[in-house]
Amino acid sequence: MPVNYYIFLSLALFAIGIVGVLIRRNAITFFMCIEIMLNAVNLLLVAFSKMHHAKQAATLATAGIDGQIFVFFIMVVAAAEVSVGLAIIVMLFRNVHSVNVNFLNRLKH
Amino acid sequence: MDVFQLLWLIPALPFFSFLILSLSGSKFSRTGVGVFATLSVGISALITLIIGIQFLSSPPAGHFYEQTLWVWFDVAGFKPSIAFYLDPLSLVFTFVVTFVSFLIHWYSIGFMKTEEGHVRFFAYMNLFVFSMLMLVLANNLLLLYLGWEGVGLCSFLLIGFWYKDPYNCYAARKAFIVTRIGDTAMMIGLLMLVKNFNTLDIASILTTAPQTWSPGASQAFWVTILLLGGAVGKSAQLPLQTWLPDAMAGPSPVSALIHAATMVTAGVYLIARTHVLYELAPAVQTLVAIVGAATLLIAGFSAIVQRDIKRVLAYSTISQIGYMFLALGVGAWSAAVFHFMIHAFFKSLLFLSAGVVIIAMHHEHDIFKMGGLRKKMPVVFWTFLFGAGALAAIPLITAGFYSKDEILFFAMASTKGSTWLWLAGFVGAFITSVYTFRMVFVAFFGEQKHDIHYKPGISFKIPLIILGILSLIAGFIELPHTFGHFTPFSDFINTVFPAVQLIPEKEGLELTLQISTAILALFGVFLAWQLYMKRPQMVARFKETGFGKRLNDFLFSGWKFDWLYDTFFVKPFVWLSKIDKSDFVDRIYGGVANLNLYFNKLLSATQNGNVRSYVLGVALGAVIALTIILFL
Amino acid sequence: MISLTGLNLILPQLIIALAAIIVMLSIAVKRCHRFTNLFTLLSFAAAAISVLYIPRGSFGVSSLFVVDGFGKFFTVLIACAGFVITLMSYHYLNAREKRNEEYYILLLLSSLGALTMVISNHFVSFFLSLEVLSVSLYALIGYLKEEPAGIESGIKYLVLAAVSSSFLLFGIALIYMQTGHLDLSGIAAGLSSSGEFSGVFIAGLAMVIVGIGFKMALVPFHLWTPDIYAGASAPVSAFVATVSKGAVFAFLLRLFYSTGGLENKNVWTVFTIIAVASMLFGNWLALRQQNIKRLLAYSSIGHLGYLMVAFLAITDRGMQAATFYLVVYFTGMLAAFGTVIYMSNKKGEALYIDDYRGLFWKKPWLAAIFTTVMLSLAGIPLTAGFLGKLYLLTAGTEVGIWLLVIVLVVSSGIGLFYYLRVVAVMFAGKNENEASSEPVIGKIFPHGLVLTLLFLLLLWFGVYPSSLLEIIQQIASVIR
Repeated sequence: MPVNYYIFLSLALFAIGIVGVLIRRNAITFFMCIEIMLNAVNLLLVAFSKMHHAKQAATLATAGIDGQIFVFFIMVVAAAEVSVGLAIIVMLFRNVHSVNVNFLNRLKH
Repeated sequence: MDVFQLLWLIPALPFFSFLILSLSGSKFSRTGVGVFATLSVGISALITLIIGIQFLSSPPAGHFYEQTLWVWFDVAGFKPSIAFYLDPLSLVFTFVVTFVSFLIHWYSIGFMKTEEGHVRFFAYMNLFVFSMLMLVLANNLLLLYLGWEGVGLCSFLLIGFWYKDPYNCYAARKAFIVTRIGDTAMMIGLLMLVKNFNTLDIASILTTAPQTWSPGASQAFWVTILLLGGAVGKSAQLPLQTWLPDAMAGPSPVSALIHAATMVTAGVYLIARTHVLYELAPAVQTLVAIVGAATLLIAGFSAIVQRDIKRVLAYSTISQIGYMFLALGVGAWSAAVFHFMIHAFFKSLLFLSAGVVIIAMHHEHDIFKMGGLRKKMPVVFWTFLFGAGALAAIPLITAGFYSKDEILFFAMASTKGSTWLWLAGFVGAFITSVYTFRMVFVAFFGEQKHDIHYKPGISFKIPLIILGILSLIAGFIELPHTFGHFTPFSDFINTVFPAVQLIPEKEGLELTLQISTAILALFGVFLAWQLYMKRPQMVARFKETGFGKRLNDFLFSGWKFDWLYDTFFVKPFVWLSKIDKSDFVDRIYGGVANLNLYFNKLLSATQNGNVRSYVLGVALGAVIALTIILFL
Repeated sequence: MISLTGLNLILPQLIIALAAIIVMLSIAVKRCHRFTNLFTLLSFAAAAISVLYIPRGSFGVSSLFVVDGFGKFFTVLIACAGFVITLMSYHYLNAREKRNEEYYILLLLSSLGALTMVISNHFVSFFLSLEVLSVSLYALIGYLKEEPAGIESGIKYLVLAAVSSSFLLFGIALIYMQTGHLDLSGIAAGLSSSGEFSGVFIAGLAMVIVGIGFKMALVPFHLWTPDIYAGASAPVSAFVATVSKGAVFAFLLRLFYSTGGLENKNVWTVFTIIAVASMLFGNWLALRQQNIKRLLAYSSIGHLGYLMVAFLAITDRGMQAATFYLVVYFTGMLAAFGTVIYMSNKKGEALYIDDYRGLFWKKPWLAAIFTTVMLSLAGIPLTAGFLGKLYLLTAGTEVGIWLLVIVLVVSSGIGLFYYLRVVAVMFAGKNENEASSEPVIGKIFPHGLVLTLLFLLLLWFGVYPSSLLEIIQQIASVIR
């Protein structure tokens, strides 16, 4: 499969993620959307990794491997981010009994 | 250790004292503040003395010492440095500034004893001393300009020290605005120097200028005339002299320090410092002499009719600085500096004595309401008399005689001098002795009009006595050819300046000139005695006549200069502003401000606190960036 | 494999990482705020000093890091900022929060992120550093549990940072596609062999700019700044304003100078627009601001915009100017937030300009310090800010980027208004309605002392800049 397909797919995923963040109000949904955006990147990196490997495998056996390693790091970081994020959301819920981000409007101008 | 390395401490000590006083002065006791401020300046004076002795006994190579603390910044080859330059000229000025400041600070401890805001007073005074020392010691014109503006600021703050009286604030504003005119001219002059030489380092300008400019070059003409603008503003010379009499609104020590001894002579220092440039512009140098001669006459005549003791002294200051300008103009550099030093001693003495008198009279300034103070305040009387004697150049026994006599001689005999210039100075000397002794006789002799129980304290007396002695004996370090020819002062200072070019045939006139000046001064005293002690009704009757009244008014108002400026500058300006009542000029600026405000409101709306619109901002930013990068 | 001998190259980072673990363990044994604070201070000091033991020269540590003079300079800068923030946090936290020890773990961890970022030479290490920095910051920003504003700003930062990281990663992926490398030297090599920049590559750069621009709060990615500054506690705001931005700026220099990405005209244009907009918008937004923390936020947007002028000059002198300005900016911002902390009390922070009314008559020293800070931020002569701006301007005029230079001058003029407004309020008459009778948090030790030190530094750099500039000149040419 040409690499372009992957690019379009992940672009679509990324766009879905960003639109989700823009139109939804629930903080939990926000995290899901961000997760989609990160996974779009993961998909892209894996696809490119495969592409570079296919191109240079003859000269370098490990060619393109760093892209895949990066994906693992992104996954770990995403997990860490979500765990801290959920903790803060719990604190928000304690304060206003809601996870609607529209309640976050105390700080402005 | 090399004592010259202590040079930086001289300005630094008053500055630290200023910092400490302004930030935690309220924690000191009342006298503590004064003593602290005085000590800081006193130690500076002591260091100056030590450095001065070292300089005299074993002068550094080339008769100058340069201390570069650091280079401020180095941008495009222009690198102003924080550096001090000590040569005989700056040494004399430093000595006078620190020493006179020390005495005046000491005096102020007593003077400010009961005044409100004494911390503020001493902090400003220390800041002034610091700025003045920066001005005098700076090795480049940028630093000099910094000090120049610093002393202007301190002068403004201290004239308006008693800010609760609106008149004092008016006087402070007037001084600031009038000197500002000169400062602007000077600023342009400095920029021209930067443009021509790409440096403001004084020494290098003075060495390269004669190589690049031929005598009479038009650039030299413009630079010097612009610098002269700064000098006449600061030194209250024609046509910018009008601020000084009003500046007497400040406390007496301020008048003594800033408006008599030190700051107002900054113009003299500036011209002396850049004397090489003036020699390249002979026309401007002649102008300096003419300005000096005209000023000394105009101010002298005004002084005769003043009633306020401080205003008499103010006009006499303008007049005496006129003498210094006259000396500078005829190329008698060392005579100008010598007169500056002597003048600093006797004029600060006069102001300080006047300050005691004013306190004793419960803030009465009018000399005609004083009278007969001689017996009640002997110390003040005698010291005032010494100062007045020096001012009137009483022959042989006062310092003022030697310094003024030298100027008059050079005004006549120098190749740049002329009989007219001499005549102006000669007449000026006569007027000086008339108005000086008018003041002495009216205030201290005659019948006593008020009962005085005031006893000046020790902190008043000692500075007065020291300055009194100096007003008498300081002249002996420079004796003329006809009288011992003992000239250590000019020998010392002439390592900086070229010698005066004399016209040979006029050289022999010296003795004649001296004798005529001496007789004239004594005659002035006699005339003052006749007019104001023996026959005061004669003056009074003259004032009654129509002409006399108008003349009196004319002179009293300082030759109507204020009226002149009011008519030609202030009134048209007010008229223009009236036309502009609806502020169509201001609307441009208002428009700029409103435009900014508009953007502010517009952008503030974007900060709506909604996290989703913030995400939209990021996304839009990404889209814009991508569009520009991919499709531009 | 990293041989043990290479470990001394990353000594500062190791010290801070170890310190975070030790603090965590010590909390498990016994809670003691004083000890934790002191220990954190010592580890920051040790990290700064340990730089002396790193040999001169440029060394690669695996392919992830490169330790050179530039990285060392920023390491010291960040460690010093961490030190100052720790000092200023002690009394503040004592007054406002019960459990404080975890704060220091987070502070150490996010500093660790910043410290590794400035020596990063690889997108993976950069991304990991960025996330270590950010994730700890989310918690730090929302640290004060009683403060609803803190939680709000925590969530806002979290969402926005995560979104911008996604953009960054997408950009990295595109660059990876084009070059097949994730390390900067590999990218540079891949580019020089292919010659022209392809569309995919510069599209990737554009998206990396989004991520970096967000962290540095450049327009149009700046919207979060005021809310986060205002909502977070003042020491954390100081951290966000200085360490987090400075570290990202260091990587920005590495990325765009070593790969030559700025040579593309369109990339340069994007940066120019960003710089111009940051300078103008930052200063415009601050004009009528009454909340001092928001004011500092807007002013920091403007300052980062000024910094971009030197960045866009792409010369050695520009590098030096940028580094100098960054040090000045760090000093000024730390002192400004330090003053806010000093003036805060148990009930809340001294947020509004009116809280400083007549400060000069009550605390002349503090007012003098704050005045100097404001004047330095405004760029008045004899303060460090003036020389910083002067160097930026010379760097700009030398290469003739006139648009940026003119905007810099104009926006500095606009900025003057709000800085002087703060100064004027401090010298205005005494505050009539003395609303808060609570005593301020600030004490002579350590607050007063550290503020005085920062104040002296501002003056010192203002009158004697060559002391700092000589060091900067040694390290500035290394990166290119």
